[in-house]
Amino acid sequence: MSNEVKTKEKVDMDPKYIVKLTVTLFVTCVIVAAALGGVNAVTADKIAAINWENTQNAMKAVVADPDNTAFSDALELTDDMTAAASAAGATLDSVYEVLEGGQSAGYAVKVVASGSQGNIEMMVGVDAEGAVTGVSIVKNSETSGIGSKVMDNEPTAAGVGVLSQFEGKSAADGTLTVGSNVDAISGATVSTKGVTTGVNAALAAAGAIG
Amino acid sequence: MNLKKQFVEGLLTQNPVLVQVLGMCSTMAITTSFFNGLGMGVAVTIILTLSNIIISAIRKIVPDKIRIAMFIVVIAGFVTCVDLLIQAFVPALASSLGVFIPLIVVNCIILGRAESFSYKNGVAASFFDGIFQGIGYTAVLLVMCIIREFLGAGTFGGGLLGVDGKGIQILPSQFPIKMLTLPVGGFLVLAALIAAMQWALSRPKKEESK
Repeated sequence: MSNEVKTKEKVDMDPKYIVKLTVTLFVTCVIVAAALGGVNAVTADKIAAINWENTQNAMKAVVADPDNTAFSDALELTDDMTAAASAAGATLDSVYEVLEGGQSAGYAVKVVASGSQGNIEMMVGVDAEGAVTGVSIVKNSETSGIGSKVMDNEPTAAGVGVLSQFEGKSAADGTLTVGSNVDAISGATVSTKGVTTGVNAALAAAGAIG
Repeated sequence: MNLKKQFVEGLLTQNPVLVQVLGMCSTMAITTSFFNGLGMGVAVTIILTLSNIIISAIRKIVPDKIRIAMFIVVIAGFVTCVDLLIQAFVPALASSLGVFIPLIVVNCIILGRAESFSYKNGVAASFFDGIFQGIGYTAVLLVMCIIREFLGAGTFGGGLLGVDGKGIQILPSQFPIKMLTLPVGGFLVLAALIAAMQWALSRPKKEESK
């Protein structure tokens, strides 16, 4: 037993052995990294194109006239915009200018708010007057069958889709709050609140542009 | 090398999910629609086979002390490649499996087979081990998907067949038990399957001993 321990310690201390371990691991990592680089070179453009298409589809879902609308590239986020969104409780992801027949017709604002099961990424359309033109969910992990009702825009007790109810609201309506000027889906209050926070943040961010 | 024995082991007597009880997290999380199960099963089979081949090929030059680190580097490399390829070429699958593709890195089936099989066996045997274990994993996923989808949503082939990929409605929509599509349903269905498997496997032995 004591002999075994001794040999083991000796191996551990042997600098040649340690160098061998390090070199083997290093070489493996280099080879794997090279392989990854190769795959990334093939797929990067394609993935970027797919993401851009998804973003555009999400933006088209929140503007008034999707067929005649084009979008600018992502605008540069200013400190004012990010601060306005954070103050409202959500994270600003990106902002795109909505161009209707070449004329600026507002903004599509992508924000990340926290729902009941993690983050909700959503796109909020805001027109030139600062009113919401639409809300669509880009990515979420809300509970299937409960929070997902909010994500699927199911009608609230008032009969209006839970996402559709934000249309036409603007910063002039004051801070949107579930229970006062926003209806929640029964059982999915937290998810509804998450979306509401996102809309508030998007309105604040859009207000801080220019 | 005994192909028939390996096949039976992968599918039944050493089934990765039902007998070795490996890869539980992904098994319960993603088996909510047929498309998810199939995609995840195929992705894991490919990664398992590739990593088995590589690990078996390098097993003689890998120092014993850092073998786990080497396995993880190789596995992570393949997982990232497959993840990028799925994102680029099967975006629908990428959006429905989401984070579970990168998480294949820590799927115990792959590390488990690397440690218990391919580190000790030849390249060809490891290749078939990867395929058969992968088929065993996929088969269990598909069975779980079919049960959970049928009892939980009343559909078959979700994500692949039917209108909008919602699956073919078999049970009228008022009958399904929504709970089965939630995580708790995953536990219940998996427990039932493991129990059935253990019962089936223990039967012939008893007869022999009599």
